[in-house]
Amino acid sequence: MAERSGAGTTEELDRVLADLRALSVDIESCAVLSGARDLLSSSHGPGVDRERVGAMLAALVNLSERVARENGKDHTSQLRIDTEGGHLLLVRLDDGGVLAATTGPEARVGLVLYDMRNSRAEVEKVLAEGSDG
Amino acid sequence: MKKMMRGLFLLGALAGAAYAARSYLQGGSPAKETVQIVFDDGSARSLASNTVEGQEFTDIAQKIVEIGL
Repeated sequence: MAERSGAGTTEELDRVLADLRALSVDIESCAVLSGARDLLSSSHGPGVDRERVGAMLAALVNLSERVARENGKDHTSQLRIDTEGGHLLLVRLDDGGVLAATTGPEARVGLVLYDMRNSRAEVEKVLAEGSDG
Repeated sequence: MKKMMRGLFLLGALAGAAYAARSYLQGGSPAKETVQIVFDDGSARSLASNTVEGQEFTDIAQKIVEIGL
């Protein structure tokens, strides 16, 4: 699932995301985008969809950062987009990357965001250990 | 005086009905899709999808929700 990081980091990130999905059953898919806008882990295997998803997530992060700047803020810490098909939720990581998740339209979004914020520390820890080693 | 009040009431009701019909035909219902942004200082901002700024977010989000992450 993951790429562009060490094998240990890859497995660890996959494990953290699997734990998050097990904990928060409303999550349909989730991913980690690095501060350099690389898709580190995703439900999609390598291929067109994965690259497309990475580019679209990066575009959303850039848009939200632009809105933050326009409002005189340093950055966006959380983004929630409600669409007819479901919700897209983004939580910012320390390195400027994001933990992202999609849910169905009937999901308990507040609860999902709570679980994502709790998993964020673990994702950051894995990324920090990966960059150290 | 009574007749005049009744006339004014009817006129108001007609204007209201016309406005409601116009809004309905133009699809003027509130946006169903919304964007909520929370900033680093805890403040938040909401964007409706019927604004240019909100539309940029929801267009991309719709595709991501469709294909999954």
